[in-house]
Amino acid sequence: MGIEGILQEGFVTTTADKLINYVRTGSLWPMSFGLACCAIEMIHAGCSRYDLDRFGIVFRPSPRQSDVMVVAGTLTNKMAPAMRKVYDQMAEPRWVVSMGSCANGGGYYHYSYSVVRGCDRIVPVDIYVPGCPPTAEALIYGLIQLQNKIRRTNTIAR
Amino acid sequence: MSATLEALCQNLQKHLGDRVQSLKVALGEVTIEVDVADYLAVMNTLRDEAELCFEELIDLCGVDYSAYANVPREGKRFAAVSHLLSIARNWRLRVRCFAPDDDFPSVPSVTAVWNVADWFEREAFDLFGIVFPGHLDLRRILTDYGFIGHPFRKDFPVSGYVEMRYDPDQQRVIYQPVTIEPREVTPRIVREASYGNVENA
Repeated sequence: MGIEGILQEGFVTTTADKLINYVRTGSLWPMSFGLACCAIEMIHAGCSRYDLDRFGIVFRPSPRQSDVMVVAGTLTNKMAPAMRKVYDQMAEPRWVVSMGSCANGGGYYHYSYSVVRGCDRIVPVDIYVPGCPPTAEALIYGLIQLQNKIRRTNTIAR
Repeated sequence: MSATLEALCQNLQKHLGDRVQSLKVALGEVTIEVDVADYLAVMNTLRDEAELCFEELIDLCGVDYSAYANVPREGKRFAAVSHLLSIARNWRLRVRCFAPDDDFPSVPSVTAVWNVADWFEREAFDLFGIVFPGHLDLRRILTDYGFIGHPFRKDFPVSGYVEMRYDPDQQRVIYQPVTIEPREVTPRIVREASYGNVENA
């Protein structure tokens, strides 16, 4: 950003990409998709001690208002079509954070007859947060990594 | 055996008589086995008789005895096992009823006796394939819609027969044959030969 000289006149110059990415990273609204024990850690991250609100991350109950889906827990075969439907209802641009061993690759239930072996078989995943369950700090670190990933993208400049 | 269990056993013998095929007391718990023909009548007696007074059904589950205790099993394979509680008398009872036919296991429904049996019997049907005649709404309860097989049977592979993925061409989630190899995990035991001075521990 070039602010020398013209800041006193009330102007800041920047690129459209930087502005877009600033806006996108500053209000990542996650679809709360809590499936198991990981959801409890996700709730910890959202509550007052870790306070995701200070990153502009506010949980939404509707996929149409969401930018990112946090898949927190074991994804079963019975839940998978519903999860894909929620993902399809989210407006672009959208991101997915896979939280915990079960969502990453089946985890403890990898050899089970009723569990999807990783939620990346159903939806494209941007960030994997390891752990069983990951701590609230780990989830916040994952979301910061997602912000970093979004900052690297270019929407206007090729 | 405590006086309470003694009294319970006597009352069971008194009111059920020879309808009790076997009565066992182990670890402070009473277990009776009844024939499938007497099952409903016995359950009604257990609930209504004032000296037994089992108002509450705590649990009902299916059991597959085909690999029980890791020895080849003789006799019937499937059983429905109920746990009863009497709040008035403060005692508990386990009732086991074997299904006569291994290929089409069937045990009468006790939903008319205790309403809670509804979902327990659906679970036993879902996981073991035990049919409960008299149940008004016998559907699967846990597994996916359209699931084939009964996963808690001992001959059902742990990984099942199908797995799920998203198909980009059809734009929907589909089932495909399972692609992973079955894995048998035998825990490796590292222990001194004379551990605890116990032979073959």
